[in-house]
Amino acid sequence: MAILDIRHLRYYYRTRRGAVKAVDDVSFSIDSGKTLALVGESGCGKTSTATAILRLLPRNVETYEGQVLIDGQDVMAYDADEFRRKVRWRGISMVFQGAMNALSPTARCGLQVAEPLMVHYDVEKEEAIEAARAELKSVGLPDYVAERYPHELSGGMKQRVVIAMALIMKPRLVILDEPTSALDVMTQANIINLLKRLLHETGLAYLFITHDLGLASELANDVAIMYAGRIAEIGPATDVYRSPQHPYTQKLIQSVPLLRSEIAPEFIPGAPPDLTNPPLGCRFHPRCPYAFEPCGWSSSEFASILGEEVPPAGAEKIHISHVAKFGTKDPWTLVASPSGETNVSALASELRDLAARWRASVPFLRAIDDIREGDGRVIVKLHQGRSPELIGRDSHRAACWLLQDGGTTVGE
Amino acid sequence: MKSGIVGFGILASLIAASVVIPIYAPYDVVRQWSSVEYWLENPRWAAPEWVTIFTGKNEPRTTVFDPSSFRYVIVRDTIVDQNGREVNLTFITATRRFLWTYDNFPSEISLYIKAFFPGNTSTEPGSSPLVSISLRRPDNQTVQLLGRAVPGPEFNRTTTYHLSSSTGAAESVFGNIRKWVTQEGVLPSDVVAEADILPHVALFARNDTAQLNPARSAHLLQGQYELRIEYVGFSLNDTLEPRARLYGTVFGLMGTDERRRDLLTGVLWGAPIAMAFGSAAAIVVVLSQTILGALSGWYRGPVDEAIQRFADLYLIIPVLPILIIIALLYRPSIVAILFVVVAFGIVGSTTKVVRSIVLQIREEQFIEAAQSYGASRIRILFRYILPRVMPYTFALVALNVPIYIFLEASLSFLGLGDPTLPTWGSIIGQAYTGSALTYGFWWWVAFPTLGIVYTAVGFALVGYAFDKVINPRLREE
Repeated sequence: MAILDIRHLRYYYRTRRGAVKAVDDVSFSIDSGKTLALVGESGCGKTSTATAILRLLPRNVETYEGQVLIDGQDVMAYDADEFRRKVRWRGISMVFQGAMNALSPTARCGLQVAEPLMVHYDVEKEEAIEAARAELKSVGLPDYVAERYPHELSGGMKQRVVIAMALIMKPRLVILDEPTSALDVMTQANIINLLKRLLHETGLAYLFITHDLGLASELANDVAIMYAGRIAEIGPATDVYRSPQHPYTQKLIQSVPLLRSEIAPEFIPGAPPDLTNPPLGCRFHPRCPYAFEPCGWSSSEFASILGEEVPPAGAEKIHISHVAKFGTKDPWTLVASPSGETNVSALASELRDLAARWRASVPFLRAIDDIREGDGRVIVKLHQGRSPELIGRDSHRAACWLLQDGGTTVGE
Repeated sequence: MKSGIVGFGILASLIAASVVIPIYAPYDVVRQWSSVEYWLENPRWAAPEWVTIFTGKNEPRTTVFDPSSFRYVIVRDTIVDQNGREVNLTFITATRRFLWTYDNFPSEISLYIKAFFPGNTSTEPGSSPLVSISLRRPDNQTVQLLGRAVPGPEFNRTTTYHLSSSTGAAESVFGNIRKWVTQEGVLPSDVVAEADILPHVALFARNDTAQLNPARSAHLLQGQYELRIEYVGFSLNDTLEPRARLYGTVFGLMGTDERRRDLLTGVLWGAPIAMAFGSAAAIVVVLSQTILGALSGWYRGPVDEAIQRFADLYLIIPVLPILIIIALLYRPSIVAILFVVVAFGIVGSTTKVVRSIVLQIREEQFIEAAQSYGASRIRILFRYILPRVMPYTFALVALNVPIYIFLEASLSFLGLGDPTLPTWGSIIGQAYTGSALTYGFWWWVAFPTLGIVYTAVGFALVGYAFDKVINPRLREE
C-alpha cells in the first residue's frame, strides 16, 4: 500500500492580483521503499506541493483542498493539533531547500537534531541529544559535530545534519526539497549515496523535489514532471527518461547538456505562465511546438499574439493589413473589425489565407475552427480547448492531447 | 576594537571602584551623608590636597588639639572669703603651643570647652565657673578672646566657640578682636565693623592695616602661637576638657563641599549608585522592549498592532517632565525612581527595531523547519528568534546605560533625586546652588562631572564595540 497518496490536491495563494494556483489538481502516490522525484522549473509548484502536504500554510491561503492519505488515513481531516502530533515528523518530515539556512545559527547541531524529539516526546534533554548523536553517526558524521555550531561545518556536513534532523523521529516519508542544490558536485554525489543507503536500511520513502533531471534519475524510482501547478507526466523513471510522452518532458530532457555530443542543448522559448491566470486548456500550449486544435488557444491569447510585433515559435512576422482591432467575445470567439476603407469580406479572406498558409508552421493558427462574416465584423471561432487528463499505458501517464487518439507518441 | 578595550577598561575600573569604595568608606558613611555632625571635623570648601603641588604653597591641613595635647596647671584649694565663708576653688590653666608654619591662614577656628562642675547651680550668683581664653602670638601680643562665665545651669557642659561664626557663644570674640586691633592703633575703631572680622584671619595676621582683610590680602604671621584657657571653678573636683580645631584649606583627594563632606567619598559612592541605577534601568528596559518587539514581530495581527500603537504613544511621552512632577509630589527614593523609569520604558524605540529584525528572521528557513516539526510558536520565539536578537540587545544595553545615568543625574541636579544618597547629579546640583563656580570651588563641580563623563564614555565605547561585532559593516579593516 502506498505510504503517501495524494488526490486532487489544490493549493492556491491569495494575492492582490488574484489567486495564485500554485498546486492545481495534483495527484500521485509513493510506495514504501520508493522514491518519487518531482521535477520542474522554478515556480512550477514543487515546493508548494511539499508545504501543502506538511500543511505549512502561510496566512494568505485561498484554497487548500483535496485528499492527503498517509497509510490510507486521510490527514486532511485532522485538526491543527492532531496534525502536529501525528503527521509532522512522525509521518512526514522534510529536508528544506538550502541547508545553509535550515539550521539556527545560535544552537549546537546536536541540540537542533534533538529538537523534534523534545517537542514531540517528553524526554530529557540529555537523552534526546544522545539519540541525536546516534542519528548524526548514522548519516556519517563524526561525534564532535553534535557540539558544533552550524557555521563551523561545511555545506555537506550541514546538509547531513539536516538529514539527521529529518530522520530523528523515524518518519514514514521524507520530503527532500532540493537537498543538494547549494552543494558542489562531489558533495552532491555523497549526499545522494547517503540518501540511497538510508532508504535501503530503513523502510523509508522519499519525495524528492528537484529541478535537476540527472539527480532525479540517480535516486528516483518514479518521476513526476510538474508544469505550472499541474503534473504533466508521471511514470517509472526509466520510461519517462527513455520515452517521454509529454512535449514538455521531451524539451526538458533535451535541455540537459550532454558530454561529447554534437547535439546542442535546447531551450524552451517563452516563460512559464503566470499562475494567477494560467492558460486555458493545456497549460503548456503557448510554448509547445506541437500545439494543435484542442490544446486550448483562447481568444485573448490569440489577439495578443496577432497584435505582437515579434511572432512566436519560429514563424515569420505575420502582418494583417486590414484589421483595425481585435476583440474577444468569449474565450473561444475572436472578433475582428476591419479598418476604415476595407470591407469585412476582404478581412475575412485575408485571415483565411493567413490561416491556410501558416497553419503548418505556426501552431496557434491551427486553433482556428471557423472564420465567418457577420454584423460588419469577422468572427473567428476557435477550437474549444480543455485541460488534458493524465492518460497512458499502465503507470506511465502524461497529460497531453497528442496521446488522446490511441496513445500515439509524438515522436512516432 | 581598541576603543572597545578602552571601554572595557573603564568599566573594569568602575567595577573595581565599586568594590573598593566600601573599604574606603563603608555604607555607614553613606547613611551619614546628609548628617551635619558626622563631617564636622573636615574643613569647609577645602580644595584637594594635591593642588599644593601646583601652587607650591604649603596650604594648612586641619589641625586638631585634643584635650590630651594641652598642658595643664591645676590648683585646687579652699579659701575663706571676706564674709568668712569657705569657698572651694579649682584653677585650671590649659595651654597649647603650636607652630604655624603653613603658608596660609586656617579656614576656620573652633574651640570646645567641656567643663564638669558638680554641686553648683546658676541661682547662686558668681558660682558659675569662669572661663578665659587667650591667644599669644609670635609677635608677643596676647589677644584676650573670651572671659566669661560658662553659661547654663548644667553640671556637665560643652560649649562650642565657633570663632568664625558671628553668632552664639563666640559673639563676644568679635568685640574682643576689634578692641585689640584698635588698641594696637593700626586701624581706627570707626572703620572696623564687627561683622567684617574674620577671627581665623585676624588672629593669624600681621599687625598692620591689612589685618582685618580677607585671607587673600592679609599678611600671614608665621611662628609659635600659644592658646591659653584659664578656668575657675567653685568646687574641688572640677575638670576641664578643652579642645580646639584649626581647619585647613585643603583636604583629601577631591576636597570638601559646603557641608564639609569629603567629596572623594561622595564621588566614589556615586559610581556604584550610577552603575547600579543605569545598568538596572537599561537591562530591564531593553529586555522588556526586546521581548515585546519580538512578540510583536512574531505574532503579528492584533498583538502587533496593540504593542506598536502603545510604543508610538510611549515614544512621544516626555519622561523627564513626568519624572519631575512625580519627584516633586512624592520625593521618591532611588528605587522608586527606577521603577518609574522602567514603567515608562517597557515599550519604545527598541520595540520597533526588534520587531523589524524579527520580521526578517521569521522568514528564514530554520524557522519554517522548526514549524514543520511541530515546535510551538512560543518555543520558536524563545529558542530560535530571541537568541538571534540578543547580540543586538547587548549593544543596546551598553548604549542605554549612560542615558539612564544622565536621567538620574538630571533629576538629582534639579534636587529631585534621592536626597539620602551621594549621587553625582546631586553633588553637582548642590555645587550649583552653593555657587561653587562663582567662588572658584572647581573641585566641587569637576569630580562628579568627570565621574558621569567617564562612566558614559565607558559604556558608550563598549556599546560601539558590541555594535561593531554584531554589524560587520562597521568593522574596522
